[in-house]
Amino acid sequence: MKMTTDIDEKMLNEAFAQMRVADPVPSEDLMNRIMLDADMVLADDATAPQRSKPGFGAMLLDVIGGWPTFSGLAAATVAGVWIGAVQPAALTDFSTELWGDTIEVPLLESDLFAALEG
Amino acid sequence: MTDSAKTLTDADLLAAFSGGDRSAALELTQRLTPRVMGQAYRMLGNRAEAEDVAQEAMLRLWKIAPDWDPERAKVTTWLYRVVANLCTDRLRKSGRGVDIDSIEEPADTAPSVAETLQDKARAQALRSALCDLPERQAEAVTLRHLEDRSNPEIAEIMKTNVRTVESLIARGKRSLIARLAGRKAELGYEDDH
Repeated sequence: MKMTTDIDEKMLNEAFAQMRVADPVPSEDLMNRIMLDADMVLADDATAPQRSKPGFGAMLLDVIGGWPTFSGLAAATVAGVWIGAVQPAALTDFSTELWGDTIEVPLLESDLFAALEG
Repeated sequence: MTDSAKTLTDADLLAAFSGGDRSAALELTQRLTPRVMGQAYRMLGNRAEAEDVAQEAMLRLWKIAPDWDPERAKVTTWLYRVVANLCTDRLRKSGRGVDIDSIEEPADTAPSVAETLQDKARAQALRSALCDLPERQAEAVTLRHLEDRSNPEIAEIMKTNVRTVESLIARGKRSLIARLAGRKAELGYEDDH
């Protein structure tokens, strides 16, 4: 490739400068249209519903890592309930041997009082 | 916002606009529109269309302001891509490339160097020579010498590295000089040097 001379470089740089000068200057009308758009966006933002401060539930969710974590917890809980519900007989026998007779703990307050009265 | 707005970065101004500061939008409009307009005009060769693209690009800037992340890109780099995409869409939809002969002379009547016929001819010759370059070379040269971007920024825009940018610019400039050299007398360069 032929090497360029300083004169060639100067010629090219001048041509670039002339081309930059030849760029059209934005019209007043265009600048006004752009600012009208900016005003419209500002007005839309001002009337858009603001995000409210998070409530306690949301804060709690944040602490535990949000809904994905919560759904994971829920799934684990369901799984735990299911495992408890289908506890195999062998395991029940083992716990009876270890801890004695199975006791029932009423979950409802009324059941508890009924048990005490009975 | 006061004169200090001049010293704020584009990203700072965009954040201020997002916070409701209209004068930040005014400063950004004055700062960025000439560059956006120039790029669109060079790509489309039509003033009215270039204005439409400039308006659309700036509207997109206003809309993205609340979500702007200054760590991810410079405002000017983002705008360059938006304008390039808008222009490319228009050119594609109308089934045309840039027809260099159809490029209008700017309507601006302010006295300037470009007012002379010779200067206009030189600018037109350079436009024509740029259009003959391979696309990547033309883009790199335009970004460096007409948009005044740094090489690292060009590399970011063109999704390449700085060494490749340097190579594209060097090859592009050699080709431009070769093309203009054949028209030195016609363009009056021999009288100047």
